[in-house]
Amino acid sequence: MQLQFERVTKSFGDLKVIDTFDTTIRDGEIVALVGPSGCGKSTLLHMVAGLQHATDGQVKAEGRPVERPAPERTLVFQEHALYPWMTLRENVALALEFQGRPATEARKEACQWLARVKLDGFEDYHPHQVSGGMRQRCALARAFIARPKVLLLDEPFGALDALTRLTLQSVLKDLIEEERPTVVLVTHDVDEALYLADRVLVFSHRPARVLKEITLGHIPKTHDLSAFAGIRREVLSLLGIDTQAQETERQTEKGDVQ
Amino acid sequence: MSNTVTGVASKRAYVLAIVLILFFWQVAAWFLPSFLMPDVHVALIRLWRELGSAEFYRGLGNSMGRLGAGYGAALLAGIVLGLVGGTLNSVRSTLKAAIIILQSIPSIAWVPLFLILMGFGNMPIIVVVAVGAFFPTALSVMNATESVERVHIDAARVMGASRMQMLKRVYFPAVTPELITGAQLAFGNAWRALISAEMIVGFSAGLGKSLAYSGEIADMTGVMTNILVIAVLAAVIDQVILERIKYRLLRYQYL
Repeated sequence: MQLQFERVTKSFGDLKVIDTFDTTIRDGEIVALVGPSGCGKSTLLHMVAGLQHATDGQVKAEGRPVERPAPERTLVFQEHALYPWMTLRENVALALEFQGRPATEARKEACQWLARVKLDGFEDYHPHQVSGGMRQRCALARAFIARPKVLLLDEPFGALDALTRLTLQSVLKDLIEEERPTVVLVTHDVDEALYLADRVLVFSHRPARVLKEITLGHIPKTHDLSAFAGIRREVLSLLGIDTQAQETERQTEKGDVQ
Repeated sequence: MSNTVTGVASKRAYVLAIVLILFFWQVAAWFLPSFLMPDVHVALIRLWRELGSAEFYRGLGNSMGRLGAGYGAALLAGIVLGLVGGTLNSVRSTLKAAIIILQSIPSIAWVPLFLILMGFGNMPIIVVVAVGAFFPTALSVMNATESVERVHIDAARVMGASRMQMLKRVYFPAVTPELITGAQLAFGNAWRALISAEMIVGFSAGLGKSLAYSGEIADMTGVMTNILVIAVLAAVIDQVILERIKYRLLRYQYL
């Protein structure tokens, strides 16, 4: 499913968080949005999901303006989005039950999806009984079971430790390769963006504007990102993280470094 | 497990408290003449005899029926109004203010109104019980509904939940812990309302009527026996039945 952002602007009162954002995301493309926290990346994601609306401009899915949430555009939250009163199986099955599928059938399919994210044996556990990484695996299963055409990820692994994050990124990559949804990923983690995405958009501080667009293409990648060291350095400098690099970059490019 | 340890400790505390209460009662009985304050064992013997009489069970049955009808209706209405009121931002604060004002009226104060409105019978007692139990239930459900986590609501919307599915599968289970606390508070109110309404209205047999009658004929053993029954029943319903329901519904929190 193709996504279009047409001159999207969003303000909360006097506070402008997104300033005329324009881009088109192709069907099956994996796009990462990277930027400082509070810059409105998540707001963009929520607009695609239909949870929030643009103050000005339009978000379109397959040419039609997005008005309300729909299961074909699903969102994975950072954490705590699983229902604590349900087991992992029930949490995953819920996505199908909300679409009118019978509970027994939904639970059977939920078990298959839990197995796909290597959570077989934990079907009857409650979220607080398993680790944060397992909870996010379950959240991925809950998102993928509905066979979404658009998968929106809002810092899905932001609360995990570094090692678990790497594992989960691989799990996610495999699922995306098999299911081929259009993916929009919001992340703080530059490596995560480079590892998963075909295209990376680097945002400025509020109001968010695109500082840089990096097209990597859909190429096979491993966690060894040494081939992308140059791009990585550039993104970090744009984000104002690596000051040394920033100084060098500043001479070569007149970017909007904060 | 810490739960079972605290369970045993709280049971021991209860037994100690009961012994202490009975002890003070007995001390009072030693100092007062027996027609003013009967000995504990005298009341217990009377209770034992009562437990064998059909009249006692008729009163108990009537009271429990009124409690069940009033308390049950109040829970149902409180849950519905609490959920709906809690999700409608426009009416929430007004509704909440109205409940807070109305809840400050002792439920027994409604007796004269309902007695005239509905006539002498079971109905005014049931309604007074319901009024007593409704407000704490509605208020606790409404407050809990208001503070359901944003991400839980958004997640359901993203998964395509309808409004009804959202209420049933997300809001209701999310507010259950607070609902149970509210329901226990509501039970206390309902119980007080029941006994006092029965004492005032005095329609057919019932625990409250039996207590009021004993008082009228200056049968202090009867008074103390009735108080004993009322206290034990309340404790059993609250501590055994409601606690057990709470544990079952919130089992996921104890695992």
